[in-house]
Amino acid sequence: MRKFLLLFTFIISACSTNQESIREVNLYSQRHYAVDELQYKNFTEKTGIKVNVVKANADQLIERLKNEGDNSPADLFVTVDAGKLYNAREAGVLQKIESQNINKNILTDLRDPDEFWAPITYRSRVIVYSKERVKESDLSTYEDLADPKWKNRILVRSSSNAYNQALMSSLVANLGVENTEDWSSAVVSNFARDPKGSDRDQVKAIAAGQGDIAIVNSYYIGLLLSSEKEEELNAGNSVSVFFPNQGVGERGSHINISAIGLTKSSPNKENAIKLIEYLTSQEAQEVYVNNSYEYPANSLVEPSDIVKSWGDFKIDKLNLNALGEFRPEALKIFDRTGWK
Amino acid sequence: MEIIHRFFAIENKRWVFGSVIFAIILLAPVIILIINFFSGTTDTLLYLLDNLLFDYTLNTLYLILITSITALFLGIIPAWIISNYTFLGRNFFDIVLYLPLAIPSYIMGFTYIDILSYTGPIQSFFRERSPFFAEIINRDYLQVEILGILLGLALYPYIYTASRISFSLIGSNYINISRNLGLSKIQTFFKVILPLSRPAIFSGLFLVIMEVLNEYGAVKYFGVNTFTIGIFRSWNSFGDVNGAIQLACILLLVVLCFFAIDRFSMSKSKFYYQKNTQLNKVKGLGGSRALMVILICSIPFLFGFLIPFSFILNNTIESFAITNFDKLFRLTNNTIYVSSLSSIIIIFIALFFLFVERISNSKINSYVSSLISLGYALPGAIIGLGVILLFSNSSLLGTFYVLIFAYLIRFLAVAKSPIKSSIDKHPITIDDTGRNLGLNPLNLLRRLHLPINKFALISAFVVTFIDVMKELPITLILSPFNFDTLATQTYQFAIEEMIPLSAIYSLVIITLGSLMLLILRSFIDKQINVS
Repeated sequence: MRKFLLLFTFIISACSTNQESIREVNLYSQRHYAVDELQYKNFTEKTGIKVNVVKANADQLIERLKNEGDNSPADLFVTVDAGKLYNAREAGVLQKIESQNINKNILTDLRDPDEFWAPITYRSRVIVYSKERVKESDLSTYEDLADPKWKNRILVRSSSNAYNQALMSSLVANLGVENTEDWSSAVVSNFARDPKGSDRDQVKAIAAGQGDIAIVNSYYIGLLLSSEKEEELNAGNSVSVFFPNQGVGERGSHINISAIGLTKSSPNKENAIKLIEYLTSQEAQEVYVNNSYEYPANSLVEPSDIVKSWGDFKIDKLNLNALGEFRPEALKIFDRTGWK
Repeated sequence: MEIIHRFFAIENKRWVFGSVIFAIILLAPVIILIINFFSGTTDTLLYLLDNLLFDYTLNTLYLILITSITALFLGIIPAWIISNYTFLGRNFFDIVLYLPLAIPSYIMGFTYIDILSYTGPIQSFFRERSPFFAEIINRDYLQVEILGILLGLALYPYIYTASRISFSLIGSNYINISRNLGLSKIQTFFKVILPLSRPAIFSGLFLVIMEVLNEYGAVKYFGVNTFTIGIFRSWNSFGDVNGAIQLACILLLVVLCFFAIDRFSMSKSKFYYQKNTQLNKVKGLGGSRALMVILICSIPFLFGFLIPFSFILNNTIESFAITNFDKLFRLTNNTIYVSSLSSIIIIFIALFFLFVERISNSKINSYVSSLISLGYALPGAIIGLGVILLFSNSSLLGTFYVLIFAYLIRFLAVAKSPIKSSIDKHPITIDDTGRNLGLNPLNLLRRLHLPINKFALISAFVVTFIDVMKELPITLILSPFNFDTLATQTYQFAIEEMIPLSAIYSLVIITLGSLMLLILRSFIDKQINVS
């Protein structure tokens, strides 16, 4: 078997040409938005460095990185969930980035204290509510969703979804296991229906009257509000965005990031750091906010008009690594409390 | 004869030996998974067993039940009608009833939910015209039953194809005898035709069930927690790869048992078609009965193809202005390239194994030939994982070779089935004749079996091509740099809830698949006519 493999490797390496002279940077990415392609194209035009991408699910990419070991061609690992970067770091496939330029670019609250990853954008997991049936003053915190007044009114997607897992992890980190479990039980008993569908489906379900409030990521509202279809626009307009936990002394709304980690075996480290520097620069951050409804990680850049219309909000300053660290507990809470 | 067999036995041995070695290489990723099954911790497995797996298993069985019933109804009834009657549009239906196979099941799920949703065309239409009726149809359509029906619509062609061929091959003698013995038409159908076609229908149903077990995108969207969701909960949520492998191995074992039971029950009762009987003559239908059968045949076509296709087409037109045609062209190119290259390799390897099984009398090769189909019983992502573990620390990961190797493991079973049914039809005596004329095994394969099984090889190419084209998890996990296919792009837009943007990529998948199926249909015709 091994001999065969060696032979096979030999044949293939004999066939493939030596490409070391090409200036490039290799990405394993969970992000696959159109804006990313645009950013990479701009980067290449500016620097002459070619950007190569493999797009797949974060956990599967971590497994690939682990098994490729020192032979991995990947330089950067891009995710849409800080928890996955924590996992990658735990799996030993990342190294410290250490670039003052990047640190200067990004908001202090979003940084990894250990510098294993750098954020590019962030989003909040907010509450949206029916303009018709819910008064804004009825809403206050995530914790308040456990109140019986929400019985049969809450809509949310399943616990297989990483954004829900991250939110639950933040609650475990902030409130502890027991309180979070009590909270989850109460929220589950307030569900309008079994968890299912996408974030956008939850908003449609509010429009359809199947529930009154939903827990969704902020940018999906932006997507609905910019839809070409009149009916979707109406659905988007039938709800308002509410940022929870904004009161005095409260911790702020849960956020999660899109972020980039530098792989341990990065063969093009210099180019890789250049790309992160570029993506966090004011220039590239403007491109993000003009083409998506995420919040920019660069403090000098303002979000898009639709996003700005929801107003400023206070973010939960929890170390984002906690979103990975507390995830196993969070999952068990989902299962124990019957959050499907 | 005996002497000839002995004479060739020595030469055959080399083929047998070669095929065993080759099978071990193909099975290496599966073997690695099984080794992993026994190593590592079982924490996640035990946790899932305690908390979730009972529910997950029940959900899986329920979903399989609904999908199977839907697919059986939609597959068998039109197949019976078309095999036995002529009516206006018969030829048309015989073509279009295959087409839902070109629509990946997750696209079927996403598309229908979009159609049925509150903001979709149906509810919007009625809200403006009849608020009362609009209120009645304003429901939550993300239900396991709806999912089962949608999967049935996407998968019934497997049963239609199998029963269509089988019904056509059953000679009129059986039907005449049964009618002479006083059985009614309906009794004949249930007591003679169905039992005779059971192996064929069962092989179709087996494919349907395997597809349901493998389904991830649609079941996750519908919030139906099946066994596959459990596998991915272990991997993606708990980050426990070993737990995922253990669950996948359990699934594999269940499928194997199921397969063994089927084989055992089949071996007790043997079915032979009498080849020399006349094909059943088709009867003409007119008037109200013709209308009825047209209606029945329209249902699967309408709901399984025309409605989702039109909706996707409409989305494509609406988003036409923002379509990136360079990219569309590149992805179409990638898709055709990787699908045809791997399908060609897969069908020749399938032919090789079946040929060795035929020329050797040893039991080993019948086992080998069954074992290499194991890949079909594992979710694609788990095969991808097995391949990653196999090529751990080599620089081969991320190359085309590895990607195609994984497709090979996954789809060998798909290519095998049409080739096998064709090879089995030819009596073994033609091999003896060939050898008496001095053909060695290689020439026997090249000059006899290649030409006489050519239609089957083309059919196998088509079905494999369509499966590779629709394939998602393996392509994602083992993809080389900058390598997107139509399927991966469609899925990435769909999960980001940008359905209109995914439309043009779905449309190309469906169109390519439909064209291939039209080719397949003409070859199925030839197979039916040749026999």
